[in-house]
Amino acid sequence: MTAIGAKPAAGAAMDIPSTIAGIILLLVIVGATYFLVGAGMMFYALIGVIVGGLLIAFGVHFVPVGGAPAAMGQAPGIATGVAMLAAGAGLAGLFGGAWAAEQGLVVAVITGAVGGGLMMAITCMFVTFIYVFGMGIPCASGKVAKDPITGDTQTEYKSQGTEGHGLPFVSYVGGVIGGLLGGGGGTLIYIMLLDVYKEALPGMMKALPAQVLPIAVSLAGIFAVGMFLVNAVLTAYNITGTIEGPHDPKFKRFPRALVASAVASALCGMVAILIVAM
Amino acid sequence: MTVKVEVVEGGIPHNTIMAAGLVASVIFIYLTYANVLTGTQLFSFFGGLAAVAAITWGSHTIKHLCSYGIGTGVPSAGMMAFGSGVIAMLFATKFGVASPIVAVVLAAIIGAVLGFLSNNVLNMRIPVMIQSLTEMAIIGALVLMGFAAMISGSFEFNPLTAGSVTILGLSLPSYQASFIGSSLIAVAFMLGGIAVQHPFNACLGPNWTQDRMLTLAQECGFLSMITAAVMSMVFLSFSAALVSVIVALVGWYYTYTKYIELSKRDAAAWLDAKPIPELEGH
Amino acid sequence: MESIVFGIGITALAGALATVAGAAENTESDIGSQGDPNSQVQLAPQMGYIHRIFNKAIAGEPPAYGLWVALGAGLAWAFMAMQINPILAIVLGSALAVFVQGVYATTAYLGRIASLSKFGQPVFIDVLKSMTTVTMAHAFVAIFTTVTICHLINAALGHPFPLPLLGLVWGIALGAAGSATGNPFYGKERQYQTQKFGAGVPIAASGNIVRYAEAGERNSLDNGWFSAKLGGPASGLCFGLIVFLELWRTVIFEKIGAGWGAIVVGIIIILVFTVIDRYIEVWARKNYGPYGEPAKEGS
Repeated sequence: MTAIGAKPAAGAAMDIPSTIAGIILLLVIVGATYFLVGAGMMFYALIGVIVGGLLIAFGVHFVPVGGAPAAMGQAPGIATGVAMLAAGAGLAGLFGGAWAAEQGLVVAVITGAVGGGLMMAITCMFVTFIYVFGMGIPCASGKVAKDPITGDTQTEYKSQGTEGHGLPFVSYVGGVIGGLLGGGGGTLIYIMLLDVYKEALPGMMKALPAQVLPIAVSLAGIFAVGMFLVNAVLTAYNITGTIEGPHDPKFKRFPRALVASAVASALCGMVAILIVAM
Repeated sequence: MTVKVEVVEGGIPHNTIMAAGLVASVIFIYLTYANVLTGTQLFSFFGGLAAVAAITWGSHTIKHLCSYGIGTGVPSAGMMAFGSGVIAMLFATKFGVASPIVAVVLAAIIGAVLGFLSNNVLNMRIPVMIQSLTEMAIIGALVLMGFAAMISGSFEFNPLTAGSVTILGLSLPSYQASFIGSSLIAVAFMLGGIAVQHPFNACLGPNWTQDRMLTLAQECGFLSMITAAVMSMVFLSFSAALVSVIVALVGWYYTYTKYIELSKRDAAAWLDAKPIPELEGH
Repeated sequence: MESIVFGIGITALAGALATVAGAAENTESDIGSQGDPNSQVQLAPQMGYIHRIFNKAIAGEPPAYGLWVALGAGLAWAFMAMQINPILAIVLGSALAVFVQGVYATTAYLGRIASLSKFGQPVFIDVLKSMTTVTMAHAFVAIFTTVTICHLINAALGHPFPLPLLGLVWGIALGAAGSATGNPFYGKERQYQTQKFGAGVPIAASGNIVRYAEAGERNSLDNGWFSAKLGGPASGLCFGLIVFLELWRTVIFEKIGAGWGAIVVGIIIILVFTVIDRYIEVWARKNYGPYGEPAKEGS
């Protein structure tokens, strides 16, 4: 391919000094927020936002995405971009979670997770459907000889000159787990911010809680979308755009994405909370 | 026919575009403040021009970043820019007149941290990563602030969250009918996110030319401005929205025709209803 | 009880609209070679295969549809705020969003082709004129139906998100579902029709896309005709099921067990789809069988 064809020289190793610097930055941000808003609800909201970001980043690693070669049956996975597929699932989950927001944190987050998982389950099923009934191609992984879940051998089902194709069962399960984690993480960020805004906005804008509810919903919604995209793109950078699922060797890179996502979520979360705290 | 290579050679250097984009964008946003000074809404269209300036700069930053090959699609860079930019922009709106400056500074901090995370923690090792993501976050914040100023006539938090609905001829205040309360910011988010990545995504290839891509960036900006002008009819007086629509349409028409001219210049051939030409040597 | 019946009606309507949206979305993007199959249309001239396929690289489908639907929803919201009735507002908003889509489609084609002039790929103006209008028509169907779903969810089912934010969420989901389901069918089965059926395209064959049609030279309308046969309907079914089941489990089971009812039903649906997926996978392994001798390059 042309300009975007060249793969970055990113190694799979962790850069220890940078990671430590990242963790220190994380502690500084969390500490600064504690100093500014105290140990109240807002501080716990920040922790919730960080956890949500971690769930998203970890979840994106599970989503099996093959990029352009997958559309030609040259590589396994779903034929689209990893960040945006994860966003599609995560935001569908956020939709469900936001709907269930008044039923409490736990129910809402699990509803969001199930919404994301449902979206991925249906999508992955149709990917297999198209490969098998539309193109007559069985599923085969290129990275492992045996499916870790079902034990099916993969190599002989790989057609000549390709790296595998379709979604082997482990990739399907990975997709659903990715949707679950992404939907849950996005919803957690949304609910945390929504609670903060519902609490603080009436005083700040001198209005009744019911009146400022649309502002709280919109602010929390757009921040959840923004943070979701930041975390998903960071993770996409980590796996250089494609991954087969939890059995892919690239999956082992997740610790550094977790550090990156924790710092990014903490920073974005702090700013989002300080909007009403300052 | 000259064959351009992927590295930026010739044309306007990136730093010039960056400086021009930043300064022009901030100045245009401040020109919308003339609304407050003169008590009208006629100057709102400057917000759209600020977005156009920032998008033009952004397209070149993306070109700068993506020519290294970041492993995932060009659009992701636009999404990253606006995901970080929206947070900086919304926070900055709290600072009244200083908002645009605060937005630039805060976005630079967020962008630099994200750049550090991508480059060092994620071990991507791309020389321009930190600088590019810093620029992208600033661009995201400025484009959003520009569109916010254009659609609602102001870049401050209170006007952005307050609106009014007309029921049976009576005008009632309503937070729902505001730029933020109605989530029109989500539309501005996507308008900018696509406009900023599209020019490079559309023009990439061995015969990439800088002037063509920058013209396309302006075209995308003005095209987004047209729709933003239509949405501004809810918040602004009819005359102010009309000014925005006219400015946007004129700018769009000019840049679109210019872009077609430039494409004609760069294309191998410009054929209408002709078969695939026979090529020698292939 | 009455509200549940009303909710089921809205859910069914939204599901039906979503099916139409998914089918139109995938057909539109395949006519424009948007999404991942685009890489092959881009690659072909570099390998010496000059073609007359429309190359509309605006962005990946999810972000592009995120914009079209969010924009349509935002404009529809603005028109509704100006006291225009919702149906007219949604039509007007979708029409303006389609205008933006059409302009983006033309600039994307011109940009990509002009940047390929080194390889002698000419710009075909007739391709631009005939394909852009067709993609705009399909995009209008997709945008109008999705914005309508969002309006139904917001106004009739009472979802807290405002219309533009719902547009963003469901636009990205539409693009994600459509590109995931439809891309391989267009990318492998249509672009590489001459390659062996029932096998992936060998990497060595990349760029050698089919350029000639039953009569004359293939253009992208032929591709739309092809993907409308399976890729489009499957994408439609995929997105329709996502919207329908997501709404259905919430509308009917949300009240049971303080929200846990919807969760349990959701998990059961996921398990059902898992079983179907596994069944299809095993069916393919049994009926298609392995490709002869096991290759040894797996890494």
